[in-house]
Amino acid sequence: MQPMAKLKPQPETTRANAVEVTGVSHIYHGRDGAVPALTDIDMTVPAGRFTVIVGPSGCGKTSLLMMLAGLRTPTSGTILCDGRPIPSPDPQRVGVVFQEASLYPWLTALDNVEFPLALKGAPRSERRERAQAMLKLVGLGSFGGRYPHELSGGMKQRVSIARGLVQGPPVLLMDEPFAALDEQTRMTMGHELLRIWDETNKTVVFITHSLTEAVYLADEVLVMSARPGRIIDRVAVDLPRPRTYQMMATDKFGQLRERIWQQIRAKE
Amino acid sequence: MSRTATLLARLAMLVVFLGAWELFPRAGIVNPMLLPPLSQVVSTLGDILARGDFREAIAVTAAEVVVAFLIAVPLGAALGVLLAENAYLGAVFRPMLFYVFSIPKSIFLPMFILAFGIGFGQKVAYATFSTVFIVIMSASAAVESVKAEYLLVAQSYGATRAQILRRVYVPSMMPILLEAVRISMIFNFTGVMIAEMYASRTGVGHMIANWGENFMLPQLFAGVIVLALAAMAFNELVRSLEVRCSRWRS
Amino acid sequence: MTRPSPRTVRRLIGLAVLVLWEAVPRLGILPELFVPPLTKTLAVLWSDRLIYFGGLMVTLYEVFFAMLIACGAGIALGAVVGGVAVVRNLMLPVVSSLYAIPIVILYPIFTAWFGIGSESKIAFAGVYGFFPVMLSTAAGIRTIDEQYLLAARSMGASLPQLITRVIIPAAIPTVLAGLRLGGALTIIGVVVSEMLTSASGIGYLVTINRTILDSPRVFAAIIVVLLLSIAFDLAVRAIERRTMAWQTAGRRVASSEDVRAARMPAPAAA
Repeated sequence: MQPMAKLKPQPETTRANAVEVTGVSHIYHGRDGAVPALTDIDMTVPAGRFTVIVGPSGCGKTSLLMMLAGLRTPTSGTILCDGRPIPSPDPQRVGVVFQEASLYPWLTALDNVEFPLALKGAPRSERRERAQAMLKLVGLGSFGGRYPHELSGGMKQRVSIARGLVQGPPVLLMDEPFAALDEQTRMTMGHELLRIWDETNKTVVFITHSLTEAVYLADEVLVMSARPGRIIDRVAVDLPRPRTYQMMATDKFGQLRERIWQQIRAKE
Repeated sequence: MSRTATLLARLAMLVVFLGAWELFPRAGIVNPMLLPPLSQVVSTLGDILARGDFREAIAVTAAEVVVAFLIAVPLGAALGVLLAENAYLGAVFRPMLFYVFSIPKSIFLPMFILAFGIGFGQKVAYATFSTVFIVIMSASAAVESVKAEYLLVAQSYGATRAQILRRVYVPSMMPILLEAVRISMIFNFTGVMIAEMYASRTGVGHMIANWGENFMLPQLFAGVIVLALAAMAFNELVRSLEVRCSRWRS
Repeated sequence: MTRPSPRTVRRLIGLAVLVLWEAVPRLGILPELFVPPLTKTLAVLWSDRLIYFGGLMVTLYEVFFAMLIACGAGIALGAVVGGVAVVRNLMLPVVSSLYAIPIVILYPIFTAWFGIGSESKIAFAGVYGFFPVMLSTAAGIRTIDEQYLLAARSMGASLPQLITRVIIPAAIPTVLAGLRLGGALTIIGVVVSEMLTSASGIGYLVTINRTILDSPRVFAAIIVVLLLSIAFDLAVRAIERRTMAWQTAGRRVASSEDVRAARMPAPAAA
């Protein structure tokens, strides 16, 4: 097997952590001078794990995610994604799914998914093939020709997920992706996301306001405090997988949810 | 960029503009026959402002502008509200508005001259005609900008029709209405100017057209400055009101 | 009682205008000097067709170059003003203040500078159409959803890619609205300037026939101008249909801010 390994390097098994954040602070320079947005964030996400970040509005969750995506530089501290720093966006390492549909309305669903590949100048046939496979993965195989306005809110977010995954990044960041959806669609999408996660073995960092969503999806929930944002609790969710809707009615689920809620409330 | 820096930068732009206007013709970079130096234009401005006929022309033009405005705005507003409130009339006439809007109204000037002569009445009639369509469009847009939710909330608290008008419609329409007033004035002023320049015996528009034909450029520039400043002053006045009434908007 | 559909009513109104145009002067309700009968007007339009065609060609020639100036300069400067915050803060209030000036008062200056030939019309109408194109291009670029840019950057888009793949397509609807207004204004500017001082073009035919009180020929010229406006309107609609497959009524409602932004540069039409 030795020659094979040379031709096609295996992912380093020694690298257990997909995301490593050490001592990260972020100071935002606004009109009223310097405002500390995040202080002293430490977090590690082992490869293949599903981590959810919850916290009150304005706690800097989105800032943190932007830094993980390489869209913003921390004032101090280090961030490693897939073992290396991320000074600028790198969609082959980190895919991002944004709040609400950030799909381009002038492109079809398929063209939207192809977009990151087109930026890289990938050949057309390859682009088509990979984008189509991603749409199929998110359950929209036959909707590639539709424009975003012809899709429902849930379908749009599926396309966003496909777009985030199309470059094959090991890490997927999601910033309140289902916040604009109605409750039922939101539950379905959460379930779908877990299926996709399971099929693709991605590392997911997911931001949400919804405690139920957090407990339902996560391996670990990180609770953040209001500004300046700090991580005040780490709650391991030891519910068995695959998760089911019935689990939401269990005492265990309720206790986890309650613990997170108490943490957030205590800090207000 | 801070407020003062912006202000200074704008001031600098103005100084450069005015300085270039003075120096380029003096230095012969542009032909002073075609662009008289600023100082010459300003001293000509002083001369013509002292002349009785120019002041009379200003009075005539101002009267035409004011009267046409006072007819066109209420008339257009009433029609615009009608089209917005009555779904059927709206469906019939509103698709025609944009087209009517894009027709050069000036081609109808000959008809106004035949019907009203070339005096005061014709200027007012033509300016009203060229303004009324934009007022209709703006007024119906203003009515539609009032969200159904606002009305529903007011109704659910038992507001009367008069209360809804005063407390919901007027405040939420105010910024758009003022914008409409401002833009209508631009149309209205343009209408009066075209009518005066086309066929007239008096008015500032008639005078600048004459100065242009007789190649009296210092006078022409002086007249254009007077008109431009008047137009900009009204515009800024309404805009300051607009800003005051639209603080609540994002 | 069911009411006829709005479209039917519009057609009936159009028909009524044509019938009245013929009947009112024929019945002597208004003198023919005021309104020459439609058939009489069409007859002179046909008999003088070469003159009108020649006038239309001059007008179209001027419109073409004026649109080139208005759209080219308007899009270029609008992109700078909309895209560069410093320039925008500096210039936008200045521009919208200048916008209040009735541009027609500049026309005597243009004739003094460029003569009474086509050059003065092209320059004047170019300026006339410039402002809405510039303002709506600036608005189109400024009102682009921040999320579109953020998403593209997260996918590793470079600045040129950001411009060609996100900013331009996102700004197109608003820019097109500006081109539509700017184009209409350019036509208006050419016709107005031809009517004021010139020696050729369709506007000139309106004026010259008015001064000799030849009403049928005035109205024939008016018909030509109306047809020109209709043709422009239809052409713009066709372009909009082609380029905006993705922009449906639904999207317009969803982003009413865009529409307001597009509406902002209302023109000073004459």
